[in-house]
This record gives sequence, C-alpha cells and structure tokens, in this order.
Amino acid sequence: MIKVKNIEKTYRKGSVSTPVLRCVNLAINRGEYVAIMGTSGTGKSTLMNILGCLDKPTSGMFEFDGVDVSKLDDDTLSTLRNKKFGFVFQVFFLLERTTALDNVLLPLIYADKYPTDAIQRAKKALARVGLEDRTKYLANELSGGQQQRVAIARALINDPDVILADEPTGNLDSDSTSEVLEIFNRLHKEGRTIVVVTHDREVAVQAHRILELRDGKLFENDARAKLEN
Amino acid sequence: MKVTKIIASSYKILASHRLRTFLCISSVAIGVMAVVVMVSMGRGAQKRILDMIRDMGTNLIVVNAGHVTLVGGRERQSAIVTTLKPADADAIQDHCASVADVAPETSRKMNVQWESENLMTNVVGVTAAALQIRNIEIETGRSFDSIENDTARRVALVGTVIVEKLFFSGEDPIGHQIRIGRAPFEVVGVMKAKGVDANGVDRDDRVLIPINTAMRRLIRITYIQKIHIQVANSKKLQRAETEIRELLRERHRLRDKPDDFTIQNQATLVQTERQSTRTLTLLMGSAAAISLLVGGIGILAVMLTASRERKKEIGLRRAIGARRRDIRTQFLLESLIIAGTGGFSGASIGLLFTFLASKLGGWNTIVSWDATAVGLALSVVIGLLFGIYPASKASSLEPIEALRAK
Repeated sequence: MIKVKNIEKTYRKGSVSTPVLRCVNLAINRGEYVAIMGTSGTGKSTLMNILGCLDKPTSGMFEFDGVDVSKLDDDTLSTLRNKKFGFVFQVFFLLERTTALDNVLLPLIYADKYPTDAIQRAKKALARVGLEDRTKYLANELSGGQQQRVAIARALINDPDVILADEPTGNLDSDSTSEVLEIFNRLHKEGRTIVVVTHDREVAVQAHRILELRDGKLFENDARAKLEN
Repeated sequence: MKVTKIIASSYKILASHRLRTFLCISSVAIGVMAVVVMVSMGRGAQKRILDMIRDMGTNLIVVNAGHVTLVGGRERQSAIVTTLKPADADAIQDHCASVADVAPETSRKMNVQWESENLMTNVVGVTAAALQIRNIEIETGRSFDSIENDTARRVALVGTVIVEKLFFSGEDPIGHQIRIGRAPFEVVGVMKAKGVDANGVDRDDRVLIPINTAMRRLIRITYIQKIHIQVANSKKLQRAETEIRELLRERHRLRDKPDDFTIQNQATLVQTERQSTRTLTLLMGSAAAISLLVGGIGILAVMLTASRERKKEIGLRRAIGARRRDIRTQFLLESLIIAGTGGFSGASIGLLFTFLASKLGGWNTIVSWDATAVGLALSVVIGLLFGIYPASKASSLEPIEALRAK
C-alpha cells in the first residue's frame, strides 16, 4: 500500500542545509498498525508529512497504491488526501468556534460529491468515538481528550485507507490517552491501516510494528526489543 | 466542493467575529447609502428646478430689454435699455405665426404704503393676459381686466408677502387703498402664493398693476423691460425664437449691430438646468462612490488579517483535501458576503432615508432605483476587487507551512 524508497529530506535556509531524513525505506501493507518512534528532532513528523502527501521529499520515491506520488499535481494530491488519508494531529486542529458535528463534516465539503446522508455519517462517526451527546458543543467547549476524539471522528468520516496520527496523545492526560489508544485499537481490529508517530513508549507498544528513526534512517528489527527492555 | 456548504461555512466564520464583520459591513453600507441618498437628492433638486421653470409658464419665451445675464442665479440687466416698446409686443402677436399670446411688462422697485405700514417691493405693470401666460392665480378678489388697463385705472393685485407685511393684523386687503409711491391704488385681489422662481425672485413679494397705469401714471415711461410670450406648442419654441429675433432686429433697425434684447427660451432653460443638475448629481454620486473605496480597503484589511490569523485553519483545510481554488473561493466568498450584505443594508437604509426625508422632512428627494442598482453592483465589484488579493494569498500557502505557522 505504502512504499517508500531512499527518501531523503533536507531543509535549506539560505546557505544552510539541514538533512533530516537520509535514505529512508519503508513498506506498509493494508491493515497494519505501525508506530514510528524517535526522539525529538529525528524527523518523525517530517516522514509523517511525506507519507500524508503534505510535504515532498528532496529525493527518493514514494508510491501509494502503486502510484508514484511525486508525479501528481497539487489538486490531485489534495484529492488523494481527502479520499485516502485521515489525519490526527497533536494539537487537534479543530475549528474552535465550530460545533463538533461541523468539524467532523469538514472533509466532506471537499469530497467530489457532498453525500446526502452527511449529517448521519458525522453523527455515526462521533458515536464511534463516544461523543454522540456532544454533537452541538463548540470545539472550544470540549476537553482535550474530547477534542482529539472529534479529530479522530473527522479523520474517519471519508472512510480513508490510512489513519496518520502525529503524536496523537502528546497533549492529553493519561485517561484521555487510554481512550484514544483504545479507539485506535478498535479501528485496527476493524481492518484500518494506522501509522502513528510518537516518542511515547506507551503509545508505541500498542502497534504491531515498531520502527525507530535514528540519524535520519529507519530501523525496525531491534526497535520492539529495545522498547520492551 | 459544494459551494452552498462553503457559503454556509463562511457565514459561520464571519458570524464568529461579529465586531470585525459588523465594522466591515458598515463601511460598505455607508458608501452605498451615500450613493443612493446623494443621487436621490440630486434628482429631487433637478425636479424642483424643472418644476419651477415650468411653473413660470407653459411654452414660454421671455424677451428682455438689453443684455440680461444670470449673476448668482439671478437675472441682472447690464444697463437700462429703452428700445423695447409695447408696440413690439403687438407686432410679435400680429406677425409671428408660432406665437399664441403676448404680455408686455414693466417694473420698478417702489415704496408701497398702507396706513402707517410701508415697504419697498417690486411693482410690475402687466396686461390682463399676463396672468394666464404666467400661471398667476387669484386667491381672493379678482384680477383687473383689459378695460381697466386701457383706461389706466389705479387698481392693484397684491402678493401674499405684501398682505403679511402691510395687513398683518389680519384685515382683508380687498377694497382698501394702498399708496404706491404717492399714488393711491385700490386692492382688487390677492394672488395665490407661488414662492421663489427659478431665477430666485420671490413671486409673492410684488404688486401687479395695469401696464398702462404703470407707464402713464406711475413711472411715466414709454419703454418696457420684458415681453412674456406664449408659443402655440413646445415644438414651435425654436421657430418662434427665430421669428421673434428677426422681427425685433428689423423693427429696431439693428442691421450689423448686436441684439439690443435677450431672448430666454424656456426649453433651452430646461435643457441647461437639466444638464447642470445632472452633472451635479453625477459629481455627488461619484464622490459618494469614492467613499465605497474606503469600504473596499476595510475588506482588504480584514481579509488580509484573516488569512494571516487563519493560517493553521488553511493548513488543516488543505490537509483534509481542500484544493488551492477551494481556499481562494472561500476567502473570496467571505469578501463578497461582507460586501453584498453591506451593499444591501446600505441600499435599504438609503432608500428608507430618502423616503422618510421626503414624506416627513419635506425634502426634495426622488427615489433613484438605478442609483440603488449601481450602488449594489459597485459593492459586489468592491468585494471582488479587494477580496481577490487576500484570497490568492491564502490559497498560495503550502499546507505544511500553514500547519507549522505560529
């Protein structure tokens, strides 16, 4: 499903170049639950942004469902993100003065056709994350955990192929963290492909595959062992 | 992308920043309101002036002795000219085929007295026909007839200002004797109030007497200052003017000399006044339209601020599938909603103000639907023009840089 080969990403500011990713190779199959770990500044979010077609690598190949993403234009990438990916961010990124329901409906506005049962779908998505009685609450009236659950519901509304979560529990307390992880586990059992970027051990061990970013490269084999030790 | 959903979303976003949105809408509304009110006032002023001109008489030509110019909107005779005679009026009546009726006139400012009250006023000598030609109506009493003119009787018609100032105790002036200069005159009628004419003359501040009485017994002159001429119909006005000019030049033996008279053609006057008030209305409307630019600058400022403040929102929308044109459309729609709401509000308030000013305040205003349409159209254009740059700026953001914005 996701194939990444020799990806490199270097940030340039004036004459200063900062390589972040060096020769990253990765393959993720449909239905897998993958955690990408690393300390701060190792390029986890950079890799996540490339996988989510939000950013382009400096060099290398990224294939999604057999399509070379680097050859796609901006509009096609936007459509790909709308249809295939569901994003969950550390800072939630909800529209604050908008209701939970309207936040969940947002991706549908950019779909090819606005579904006639949009409201029902949004309510169902909120129910899946346990927020069926919070549909009319404004986002800034919800707790951090509730906001992240709304973000997950929004990520699910278009029935995406992949959920991409960048430090999804980074701003949550332990109870909310458990709620969110439980939702991810449930989604994975339903057959969803989930890629989580995290520095949190508790989050990473939930995944079936754990990869570690070190010095700009991705390592898998000893990652789980190191974690469990 | 569903445009209706974007519009609904845009309304919610604008509603969530009430004060800012209200101020922006107000600036556009004030501009549109100014356009509507200014043009309505201009149209009202134009109608008032044209009505005043038409009120002076129908299909009217006025021949003035000598050179008459308009100074500060009022007629001024450059010098006393004595070549215009009552016989000229008769000749015009007899020989100009386009002319229906004539009324020679002479006037002088004189002292009018009743008992111990006196005032300086315009004493005008006219024929009986003048009342019909010049749309002069009698309030009380009667007019004087042609026999009284032929016999130079001392009878007078007074205007309402004369009644107010001389007979202020409420006494009926009919039948009383007033003194004009030193001569006694019997008041036989009071004229209906007509107000100020297009030349700025107060038509109620005058006394009308038979022209023969004025020329032979009061002022003692053989010349006249004016001839009011009624033409058969409006289509003949230009021809009548030509006929009258040719006749008078021949009678006054002018040959190569310039005219010793001035002809005022009512149709020309109407056209001139219409053009000048139209120009004035256009100027006023344009000045008001320029104020719409202020509204546009307001929209530009607000939308630029919004695109800066909402970078993360733009990043999120792009992340979940919005294309550049979706972002551009959204921001442009928000500008158009502000401008359109402002335009509609301004037009409504402007129309209401025009209507109320006319009905309750007695202002001369005419509701101008085309100016309203122009104001509304301008507000939409302003919304588009000043919204396009912020919309383009917002749509040019890369999703990742927008998400990372502080």
